Amino acid sequence: MADPTARALPSAADAEVAIARLEAMSADLRGCAILDPGGAVLAASADAEAWEAVARELLAAADAAAGEAVTQAHVGTEDGEAFAVRHGGYAVVAASDRFTLASLMLSDLRAVLRDLLRGPAPAPALAASGGGSTEASG
Amino acid sequence: MPPKPHRALIDRVSGYADEAGAFLRRRRTTRRPFARVHVPGGRIDAVDADTEAGRELFLAASRVLDAAAAR
Repeated sequence: MADPTARALPSAADAEVAIARLEAMSADLRGCAILDPGGAVLAASADAEAWEAVARELLAAADAAAGEAVTQAHVGTEDGEAFAVRHGGYAVVAASDRFTLASLMLSDLRAVLRDLLRGPAPAPALAASGGGSTEASG
Repeated sequence: MPPKPHRALIDRVSGYADEAGAFLRRRRTTRRPFARVHVPGGRIDAVDADTEAGRELFLAASRVLDAAAAR
C-alpha cells in the first residue's frame, strides 16, 4: 500500500509555476532558474540550456569560494546582482537589478523553493463541510 | 507669528525625506562589487574579488546576468 504522506518530487510544471510566482513577487527580478539535485534545470525564465550552464557554474564557483557546499550566495556587480539558494538538494539561481533588497530577494527565493518541495497546498475544506454557500438568503 | 502646527510637521517630514534621499545617493555611488557565501551552520564569508575563487565567482555571476539579459 502506498504511503499517503509520501509526495512526488517536483515536476517541471511545478517548477514553472514556482518561477511564475517568483516573477510576480519580485519586481527587481530579471530572470531565474530552478535546478534539481542532479544539477539539471527543471524550469527557467528564459533559455533553459543557457541557464543550466550558468547556474551550475555559479553554484560551483560559490562552493569553491566557501570550501564547502553553500546554502546561499549573493554577488553584487556593477551590472546587477546574482543570487543562489539551495534547499533540500534543489537550487534556485536568480539575477536581479542592482541595489535590490537582498534580504527580501533571498527570502523570496527560499520561500519559493520550500513551497516547491512541500508540494501544492491542500484544497480548502469548505466544499466538503457543506457550509460554504455564498448565496444570499433574503 | 508662530508657524501653524501642520507646517512644522510637513517641514520635519520633508527634512527626513531629504536625509533619506541623500543616504541612498551616497550608497549608490560608494557601494562596491561584493560577494558573500553562506554555509550550513550560519557562517557567512565575504569573498575577496582579488583571489582566484573570487574572480571565478564574479565571472560566474556576470554570466548569470548575461543569461538574464538575453531573454
